[in-house]
Amino acid sequence: MQTTIMADYGDRKIKDAQMRASINQKLVETGEKERLKELLRNKLIESGWRDELKAHCKEVVRRKGLEHVTVDDLVAEITPKGRELVPDEVKRELLHRIRAFLAQQSNI
Amino acid sequence: MSLSGCPHVAAFKKSKGTKPFRIIQAFFVSCSSVENVKRKARAGSCHVCQQCNQRLHACLTCVFFGCYTMGHIQDHARSTKHNLAVDMTHGTVFCVPCGDYVYDSEFEQISQEERLNCSKFHGSSVQGFSAWEATGYEIELLRRNPTRKKVSGSSTIGLRGLINLGNTCFMNCIVQALTHTPLLRDFFLSDKHHCENERSRDNCLVCEMTRVFQEFYSGIRSVHIPYRLLHLVWTHARHLAGYEQQDAHEFFIAALDVLHRHCKGHNGASGNNPNHCNCIIDQIFTGGLQSDVTCQACKGISTTVDPFWDISLDLGPSSSSNSAPLPVPIIVPTPLPDFSLDSNSSGSSTSSSSLHNGDSGLMSPPGFDDVPHSLDDCLRRFTRPEYLGSSAKIKCSVCQNYQESTKQLTMKTLPLVACFHLKRFEHSSRFRKKISTFISFPHELDMTPYMSTHRRANGLSHHPRSNRTTTSDNQYSLFAVVNHHGSLEAGHYTCYVRQHQDQWFKCDDALITKASVHDVLQSEGYLLFYHKRILEYE
Repeated sequence: MQTTIMADYGDRKIKDAQMRASINQKLVETGEKERLKELLRNKLIESGWRDELKAHCKEVVRRKGLEHVTVDDLVAEITPKGRELVPDEVKRELLHRIRAFLAQQSNI
Repeated sequence: MSLSGCPHVAAFKKSKGTKPFRIIQAFFVSCSSVENVKRKARAGSCHVCQQCNQRLHACLTCVFFGCYTMGHIQDHARSTKHNLAVDMTHGTVFCVPCGDYVYDSEFEQISQEERLNCSKFHGSSVQGFSAWEATGYEIELLRRNPTRKKVSGSSTIGLRGLINLGNTCFMNCIVQALTHTPLLRDFFLSDKHHCENERSRDNCLVCEMTRVFQEFYSGIRSVHIPYRLLHLVWTHARHLAGYEQQDAHEFFIAALDVLHRHCKGHNGASGNNPNHCNCIIDQIFTGGLQSDVTCQACKGISTTVDPFWDISLDLGPSSSSNSAPLPVPIIVPTPLPDFSLDSNSSGSSTSSSSLHNGDSGLMSPPGFDDVPHSLDDCLRRFTRPEYLGSSAKIKCSVCQNYQESTKQLTMKTLPLVACFHLKRFEHSSRFRKKISTFISFPHELDMTPYMSTHRRANGLSHHPRSNRTTTSDNQYSLFAVVNHHGSLEAGHYTCYVRQHQDQWFKCDDALITKASVHDVLQSEGYLLFYHKRILEYE
């Protein structure tokens, strides 16, 4: 019993990964990914997210010293805050766009 | 992290140049052709684990893709001594021995070029946002002026009283409104005015406004004495000279006019077309007013669009003007003989009943009792069709006859800053009086109902509501209100201005006091200034 559940779970994981890969491929192929990136970039700038996060990064760099901070350190430190600060409106719009795109794609 | 790259980058560029980097950029980061996009979609996954969303990097030395989060690209680099890898999403270069991303100006340049090609290829209309980068000159300036000021939410920077130089409150209140217009402030504080005429610089109102803005935002809190400004206004707008009381609205329009004329000097190229000027005043304050004159005989519409800087709104009962609101009979029975001449109807099936429905809804809304009580009422009245009267026959451009007609004004294009002038001063041949009735106005204003597109759709098509879109494009926020106190003969002007999103202050010449939104919205507004909430990219 235990093993079959595990097998199912493993199965699903593989299927999910395949699905993710084929969605990604479609997004890249059609150029939709670039457009979404552009949209997201602009929305984040407009909402002030970028400025806020930039200020936060500067703070981290100042605290640690320019020579002692790597991009990875910075990413690790600001990611939680960065995620939290993304306005719900931006998330909603992106989600909406992605949904609409997937609805158009019949062969995934 | 260093801006001058690292020894590994230098060594790489020495032996292989920048070509490999450009190839990876063009083929796998910022694709600008159909084949490249297809290739990226097909091949863009880790050579070790086949995943595509774990921060994929491409080796700069050989053909290898590996993900960063799982350590596959790092493993590859260590085993092959291929030190550098390119992030396939952002195009940045990671140096494995240094353990960090490195910035090289040549690489940055290439990646920017390719990104531009890519956005052109994908046909994005906007060039996107590019951050400000300080030029050498600006860096030098910043170095020489090390004092920094941080503007916090409680800062009073930008608030300064103005001395009354003898009945000059009409000017002071407008100066307060102008200095708190965000776009105008940004223009003047960033020194965007380049005065062409060296000799007449003392005579240029734009130069003087630059000085006024810099005074206002210098952080000094003492009162400012605008004598130079007043002098310039006197010299350039002679009808305002002297120590008499003047109308703030008249001053506002005169000030814009002089500023606009003084801007022209250096915007040369656009000077030859009076209707299309690119000066800062026109960029901010100019909107387009559409006037549709409808011939009552053939229903043909002739349309003109005129620029405007402000909208003057009547407050009295409309019977006092000679253009009465349309009584219903005018639109009714006359069977329309010539459908083909109706240039604007959406099809020949336009029946008189559908026209009737649309029009009557527009002209006499139920319960509309002639005297406006709100800005909304005023605007509705401003944009409704008006019967021009039987004595004012106009030559119809469609049927070429002098006919009775109706005229409707709507907003073709909206300005970035909309100024509404509530006509509280009535001057007629028989009497002069001030209308002091309270006119309510909103904090946030939606201009969509007064747009030409909306009005036309509403009045003339079969499906009036179908194409109504509530976009955020036509949303405005109140940021300044000029008030007049007293009577026609002796009065005083004050101004409410908004600071830091939601703080309001009352400017009464030299005196500035805190105010609440409630105070502002309950005041007897004379001039209302609204700022567009969302600005488009240029």
